[in-house]
Amino acid sequence: MIGGRPWKRSPVRGVTAVAAVGLLLAACSSGGSPGKAQPLKTLTIGSSNVFPPTLDPTANASQAIDEVIDYNVLQHLVQLAPNGTIVPILASSWKVSSNNQVFTFTIRKRVRFSNGDILTPADVVFSLRRVFAPSSTYPYAKVFDVASVATVATDQVQVTLASPSWEWLYDLAAYSNGVILDPRTISSMATDPVGTGPFKVAGEVTNYSVSLTRNGRYWGYLPQVAGVTFRYFTNPNDLNAALQSGQVQMIDNLSTPQDLGLFKSNSAYRVTAGLTNGKVQLTLNNAYGPLQNKVVRQAIAYATDKAAIIKAASGGYGIPAGSDTVPADPYYLNLSGTYPYDVAKAKALMRQAGYGSGFPLALTLPPYFYAQLAAPLIVSELGAIGIRVTVSTIDFPLWISQVFEGGAFQATIIDHAEGRDIGNYGTPGYYWHYAQTAQVAAELRAANAAPTEAGWIAGYRQVLRQITADAVNDWLYIIPNLTVARKDVVGLPSTAYTESLDLAYVGLGGSIPAAARSLGFSS
Amino acid sequence: MPRFLWRRLLTTILTLLAASLLVFVVLNFLPGSPAQVILGTQATRAAVRELTVKLGLNQPLWMQYLHWIGGLLTLHLGRSYISGQPIAPEIGSALSVTAPLVLLGLLVGVAVAMPTGVVSALRHRRASGTILAAATQLGIAIPNFVLGILLIIVAAVYLRLLPASGFTPWTTSVVGALQSLALPAISLGLVEGAILSRYVRTAVLGVLSADYLRTARAEGMRRHQALLRHGMRNAALPVITVLGLELSGLVIGAVVIEAVFTLPGAGSLLLSSVANRDLIVVQDLVMLVAAVVIVTNLLVDIMYRVVDPRIGLGS
Repeated sequence: MIGGRPWKRSPVRGVTAVAAVGLLLAACSSGGSPGKAQPLKTLTIGSSNVFPPTLDPTANASQAIDEVIDYNVLQHLVQLAPNGTIVPILASSWKVSSNNQVFTFTIRKRVRFSNGDILTPADVVFSLRRVFAPSSTYPYAKVFDVASVATVATDQVQVTLASPSWEWLYDLAAYSNGVILDPRTISSMATDPVGTGPFKVAGEVTNYSVSLTRNGRYWGYLPQVAGVTFRYFTNPNDLNAALQSGQVQMIDNLSTPQDLGLFKSNSAYRVTAGLTNGKVQLTLNNAYGPLQNKVVRQAIAYATDKAAIIKAASGGYGIPAGSDTVPADPYYLNLSGTYPYDVAKAKALMRQAGYGSGFPLALTLPPYFYAQLAAPLIVSELGAIGIRVTVSTIDFPLWISQVFEGGAFQATIIDHAEGRDIGNYGTPGYYWHYAQTAQVAAELRAANAAPTEAGWIAGYRQVLRQITADAVNDWLYIIPNLTVARKDVVGLPSTAYTESLDLAYVGLGGSIPAAARSLGFSS
Repeated sequence: MPRFLWRRLLTTILTLLAASLLVFVVLNFLPGSPAQVILGTQATRAAVRELTVKLGLNQPLWMQYLHWIGGLLTLHLGRSYISGQPIAPEIGSALSVTAPLVLLGLLVGVAVAMPTGVVSALRHRRASGTILAAATQLGIAIPNFVLGILLIIVAAVYLRLLPASGFTPWTTSVVGALQSLALPAISLGLVEGAILSRYVRTAVLGVLSADYLRTARAEGMRRHQALLRHGMRNAALPVITVLGLELSGLVIGAVVIEAVFTLPGAGSLLLSSVANRDLIVVQDLVMLVAAVVIVTNLLVDIMYRVVDPRIGLGS
């Protein structure tokens, strides 16, 4: 079954990644710290996330859990580096069958969990089977479509998918469903997840902080901090004050970009606007009255000024989206020029659709800053073409039950943060009620069965063009991940393509290995 | 035990039961299913169904209620929907912040109210008394969170006397914990103290013009002697009533103050549990607050009897 093409997706990048990790391993055998030993300090990170409801990423979708635990405490067979490449972690190498259906992973040797247990292929089989078990409550519908997982050699695990997929390896790397667990510690996952990563959980204070300490048994490069503490702030002003007064050394994900001015001009801090997978969109209920008409949806896309919205909602950071894709996707197409800001054209389309005198539209918002900041502009811009928008804000659980589950809404503004989530357009009953769902699903399936990567990409791009031509939603912009850190914090990931804040190379002062820099960690 | 006490105890239990029913019904009408909130927008429908069953949320409501209330009666607060952990330690750790905060706030309040109330009553015809009364009016007008932010700016940012926010656990350092609670307790207590001070003033004024005090003065006692011997007990009755009400005000005020000072207390736990739809934690916490208020009322009633044996309630 296994084809003779290891590193099929991208042979060159794959091999460099292995070489890079090899170099790092060599570099870290001495602990990685040059010069005389100084006591390491603890890095305190102020997070704008909510306090993690549990520390078990396999039990809850909260991004706050992945931010702390994924990659840092629990690792995957393969992971996504900040530069967007898939790198080997607990698998030292892997092979993919020619039809993209069978994946054979060679498990890295001499890896221990932070409690001393040795990582075995059986642990890998246990972890992957746990994802798609009938009683599974894993939070992502990813890595599920597996037919079987088995040990095939003393150090190899083979995964056979239900159907061929060009996406599966990426999903395994990027989504926290892919974490490898110690089967003997499952009962304590909620408070003390035990993994193979560079950090282990030291403790938590509910609604206040989570502390990690460096895992002395770590098999790779040891980060140059004694530990990392995440502190949680519900109020952005408190968070900014905490950075200014030195209580925290960095802010992960500044939720109010208008506050960037506080730090941008100050040479003591470094501001990073990392790329993400987050597509902020004006979701249109394609089943609601006037919005059933493609021409009306196109008019809305012409009527919204993306540049102005980026300025208002994202402090000028972020790039126009144009469709359900971001530059990190292999199938990325920049379609942001399809509907340039053109009020006259939008009005003409409204008349053509028979809505020359406009119609009322209810915009139901989640309580997030980006939605609140973008809404006033949307209201006035749609008002200019006769759409009378009324705005209401509801809390997120209500948003999920009413808008997302119930589909009882007309329009909303939401960040679709998941990577490569184009499959949503082929999901029957998905909340925006796109009429061509079945057709898109068939196209996506056909693309995944393509024998070559080029064929897969071409198939996905066809879907992108179609949903953009149909103006299913009005894609506003790709949201940036804004971090503000004191200058001496090194080794931070330069992008946020995953929900994890990957701290594998973090340090306070000093430098990071060159190989880590080439993977996209900042120096 | 007097019949009065039995009757009050029975009322208390019935009130608690009614409160539990109300809390349960209201929270279960709150839209947003815990399972869906936990698993987010990307989970499979099968996973959401599976979790709903695991949490026992597919059972009929009356069964869920009985299960919950039965647990409370046997002191089992249950497990959080979200973390799967027992709730009691979580609430315990939150209370280790909130209970001292409320008590310190009460202490600050009483320490402020007693002297200012008595003095402004004794000097109510003089400028000093009027100024004191005006100052307490101002205290009532300022919301406690505004005072909190002012205190942060002055005491923490400019003078750097105390931490601006956050909490040092008691196990790490008792002094540190007290320092973290100082500013929040002052912002909580000053405002409550200002309100209480008005009641103390009115009560003392009422006593000062009472016949028995005039008689005591006629017998040759000085004013403060008469006030201490005969006046204080009488003035205490309305103040105790208000103090009972104030305590529940302090508990609710603590929710806001904890947010201002990012303290990991019961208020923060309540807010985050509502946001996460961790309904069972919310139910437990609201019941706890209700129980504190109801039991305080009971204690206030008993205090009446202690302070004033004339109140023969029910006999």
